[in-house]
Amino acid sequence: MTNNEAALFRDKQIGFFIYLGVEAVMFLTLFATYIIFTPATQGPRPGEIFEAKSLILSSFFLLSSSGTLMLAEKGMKEKKTGKLLVWLGITLLFGLIFLGFEISDFHKYISEGYLTSTSNFLGSFYVLVGLHAAHVMFGSGWMILLLIQQRMNIPTSLFQEKLKIFSYYWHFVDVVWVFIIVIVYLPYMI
Amino acid sequence: MDISLFGKTINLPSDVLAAWIFTGIIGIVLVVYIWKKKKLPVIWEYMRTTNHRKIGTLYILFGFIFFLRAGLDALFIRSQLALPNNDFWVFQSQKYSEVFTTHGTMMIFFAATPMLLGLMNIAVPLQIGARDLAYPFLNAVGFWLFFAGGMLFNLAFFLNKAPAIGWTGYAPLTGPTHTPGVNTDYYVFGVQISGLGTILTALNMMVTIIRHRAPGMKLTRMPLFTWASLITSFLILVAFTVLAIALYLLMFDRLFGTNFFTTNGGNPVYWQHLFWIFGHPEVYILALPAFGIFSDVISTFSKKRLFGYPAMVISIVMIGFLSFMVWAHHMFTVGLGPMANTFFAITTMTIAVPTGVKIFNWLFTIRGGVIHFSTAMLFALGFIPSFVMGGVTGVMLSVSAADFQFHDSYFVVAHFHYVILASTILGIFSALYYWYPKITGYALDEKLGKWHFWLFLIGFHLTFFPLHIAGLQGMPRRVFTYDPGEGLTAINFIATIGAFTMGISILCLFWNLFKTHRKAEKVGNDPWDGRTLEWYVASPAPEHTFDPMPIVEDIDPLWVAKRQNRPMRTTDHHRIAPLSKSSILPFVMAMCLFLLAFTMIYHLYWVSAIAGIGVLACMVIRSLTDERKSFYRSINWL
Amino acid sequence: MKKLAVFLLLPLLAGCSSITVLDPKSTTGEEQAYLIWFSLGLMMIVLVVVFVLFARFVIKYRYTEERKNDIPEDVKGNLKLELTWTILPIILLIVLAVPTIAITYNQSPKMAAEADDGIDIGVAAQQFTWTFSQPNGKTDQNKLVLPEGEDVTLHLSSKDVIHSFWVPALAGKIDAIPGRTVTYEIKHLQKGTYRGKCAEYCGTQHTNMVFEVQVVSKKAYQKYLKEMK
Ligand code: HEA
Ligand code: HEA
Ligand code: CUA
Ligand SMILES: [Cu+2]
Repeated sequence: MTNNEAALFRDKQIGFFIYLGVEAVMFLTLFATYIIFTPATQGPRPGEIFEAKSLILSSFFLLSSSGTLMLAEKGMKEKKTGKLLVWLGITLLFGLIFLGFEISDFHKYISEGYLTSTSNFLGSFYVLVGLHAAHVMFGSGWMILLLIQQRMNIPTSLFQEKLKIFSYYWHFVDVVWVFIIVIVYLPYMI
Repeated sequence: MDISLFGKTINLPSDVLAAWIFTGIIGIVLVVYIWKKKKLPVIWEYMRTTNHRKIGTLYILFGFIFFLRAGLDALFIRSQLALPNNDFWVFQSQKYSEVFTTHGTMMIFFAATPMLLGLMNIAVPLQIGARDLAYPFLNAVGFWLFFAGGMLFNLAFFLNKAPAIGWTGYAPLTGPTHTPGVNTDYYVFGVQISGLGTILTALNMMVTIIRHRAPGMKLTRMPLFTWASLITSFLILVAFTVLAIALYLLMFDRLFGTNFFTTNGGNPVYWQHLFWIFGHPEVYILALPAFGIFSDVISTFSKKRLFGYPAMVISIVMIGFLSFMVWAHHMFTVGLGPMANTFFAITTMTIAVPTGVKIFNWLFTIRGGVIHFSTAMLFALGFIPSFVMGGVTGVMLSVSAADFQFHDSYFVVAHFHYVILASTILGIFSALYYWYPKITGYALDEKLGKWHFWLFLIGFHLTFFPLHIAGLQGMPRRVFTYDPGEGLTAINFIATIGAFTMGISILCLFWNLFKTHRKAEKVGNDPWDGRTLEWYVASPAPEHTFDPMPIVEDIDPLWVAKRQNRPMRTTDHHRIAPLSKSSILPFVMAMCLFLLAFTMIYHLYWVSAIAGIGVLACMVIRSLTDERKSFYRSINWL
Repeated sequence: MKKLAVFLLLPLLAGCSSITVLDPKSTTGEEQAYLIWFSLGLMMIVLVVVFVLFARFVIKYRYTEERKNDIPEDVKGNLKLELTWTILPIILLIVLAVPTIAITYNQSPKMAAEADDGIDIGVAAQQFTWTFSQPNGKTDQNKLVLPEGEDVTLHLSSKDVIHSFWVPALAGKIDAIPGRTVTYEIKHLQKGTYRGKCAEYCGTQHTNMVFEVQVVSKKAYQKYLKEMK
């Protein structure tokens, strides 16, 4: 990277970190909401509806996708396009699998009659976990776009930049998931 | 009035009808003007611009239009309240509630905040030697989101669906049970969209100040307005985000059956906490930039360096920090208990200390100076005593047991108009006179400016001073009338006269703008014998500024250079300017969001989905047409 | 100009003991009025200091023909002065904080009903009426009758949205919030008829959510209680 590129990248990086700060405040407020309203006075107790199996599986895929993304970045650093593409593809796949679990979970809850209006515990659960899932979905779309751009032969330094920014996003979304496990699920499952 | 259209009868109250007619006429006049003067290319240019000065101008322009709208609402409020048991036009019960809700919401979210963001947009890059904001494209997105939100909120009125919930939107009144109509949804979505724009612009401002300062422009040499903008941006990032989540939850309550703020298992007071965790910092978001403006203006027109620069900066930081610790002073009467009430009373009082430091430092900047009474300076001087009056009533409000009497009475109304008008509004006017040459190349007329100032100041005190007494006399806020026997008649009548005096002063400003552009006399780079970098570039600021790039060696670099009778030193070694390329995408994106919100309000979710895809598509196009592509290619070829 | 207005209006304010809130008819209200006066007094000190400095500096250092070409000397600051105007306000605020804390502790509305002596009155708010219930179960709408000289404890609740119970002449307001009961004590009432209002915006008829409080002699109060509705 030249000096100019480095400077422009740094602008973008700092801006994106601040943006992640904004996201953090957002999730913080939602966590607070969840803590305030859970467990709700009426309606189902959290422990009754959460399931260990799908939580463990979905977490496995999402959390390891952070690792596969790092491998992709490594591939980029080593200028191995194949490695980059494969690992990015796997990251995408893991993200989609996670989403699949989320959707099937939500679907199951809803078909069991656990709606946003059932209780405030469920309401805050849906807005929080749902917003996180929306982030994963957005990230998956972003990865597809990155894969396309990689094939479109844009300047390498620009692609590197875009991948870097994406990786911050993806790791952030993962960290939020860790907090969701610790705050939303675990206290009611053990 | 009932109007029959395609076999359907639409009920249009006369105020809405008048608004349609009035807007229609203005619209026609505008179209004819644009056509005759061939201004279409200019409009097209502004729709696509990413230049900070132009976006700043747009921010101020639309902020000002919304200010007029909200000011007109204020005049309706005052006309209705002028006499006891009055029936002015339609402004009783429902309509009165709509009008104060619109007035408050528009003033805070769509007039004051955007005008300040506009001034930041214009002045901050020029003050620190940046060629543009860090992300020009994002800047346009931020502006158009504000625009979309403001238009959506205004649309409610034109469809006779204005919200009637107060600008604070207290639950559970805002819940689906008590305000089932779409009115409240307009509030939720209008504020949400423009709030997102505000967050993006604040982020942009922050990165610009952190990353794009001219060589030698250390943090400790930044003009106070830039400092204030930095801290304000930080407050926006936190406060508006909390508001965004609060509105997000409220949206779920209203549209998707959750019960966060309802009485059905939810907690109405939780809304108040979230709202004021936003709302209190918001009032400093309004005040701090104005403090910055006054610091620069007072120092310029006293011909003296700012007294106690470090203390000024530290106190801004302190105010910003403390502003997050006092929110419950708006909730003393909720019954949070004696512990919480005293805690928040004390934290609130502490804010008086850093604010006082600023007041005295301004006074001592004046001391020993040579005070030039330009209009900008008059507004700044008018600010000091007026603001202190509002500030001390704030301290009185913070006395929690006394606040049981003050709360939700006209005493509070008087307090916050004192502080807001004295800081934000006088600040914006001061900045307008001060930076007008940088925006347009012309200086506003000083004589009319003085009329504007004096009429506004007198009207302001005439309106709001008596209202303190109205509060103590037992007048609650948000009531559309009172009894003749309550001893409120004279007070309210005087207040109404004051409000119209302010109205006349705004007409003077109009006349001034008109006259100035009629005359079209260009002024030079530095009409006020300025001190900071913005007076070093041409007026109006061109799209490509700071070529060559100056080196900053002092707090008031231009002033020092002028005193030493030398040109500013310049350099070729400086960082690269932000890349920019004009684009219609920000506009399209904001319009998609507008459509998304509008259809959400009417539960047309499939259209919302399409509009949402439109927003995402804009992002994809944006990513694919990144202006960095060609730039990176060009440097890699070299 | 505006300073003149302030000084003209102040004696007006001070002289008018007819201002409702400053002429309270209960001990609770008196404590609040005392705080208002006390804080106003302290704030007047601040105001006078700022106004005097302001007027002096603006007049003395204004632009004049003979000072046309003066370039004033730059002063960076003055630590001693700046410390002065940091510390003095802190002292002033401490002086203000002490009675604030004392009275707030005493008066703050409490969440749960704590044992209180005096008369317990139920206050139920609903768009847009007030229902008051007396200890013996008697209820009345928009009219509250209370005995002179007694302390009353209000138990406030709401059936729909948030309202606020305010009798300016007696004491400060307290919110009536759905889903919870808040208590508030008003001590030692004086005889008279007072206007009460809803002080939290609760819908379009908020303005008309008014009521009347009659503080009557104990005998009359007993009579009122026994009256059948
Ligand atoms: C620009 C906006 C702005 C600013 C700057 C302030 C500044 C302050 N405000 Fe205000 N306030 C509002 C806007 C603002 N406010 C609004 C909009 C509302 C109502 C919202 C609604 O309900 O709709 C409100 C309401 C409000 C309340 C709630 C009232 C109620 O509803 O019951 C309180 C209570 O404590 C309060 C306190 C204060 C204090 C202590 C300050 C302090 O920051 C003031 C500090 C300044 C000074 C004190 C003067 C200068 C200092 C000196 C000269 C030093 C010496 C002074 C002393 C030692 C005292 N404000
Ligand atoms: C930035 C904030 C701001 C500003 C600048 C103002 C400015 C004014 N405000 Fe407002 N006000 C609020 C923020 C603000 N207000 C808020 C937040 C509330 C609380 C709302 C709530 O309770 O929810 C409130 C409430 C409020 C009330 C209480 C209503 C009630 O509780 O019942 C009153 C009453 O007097 C009032 C009056 C005024 C007046 C007379 C002005 C004047 O200064 C206005 C001066 C401007 C003008 C007079 C405009 C001139 C226009 C023209 C000349 C017309 C030309 C027009 C066209 C060509 C279209 N305001
Ligand atoms: Cu009840 Cu206002
Ligand atoms: Cu506040």
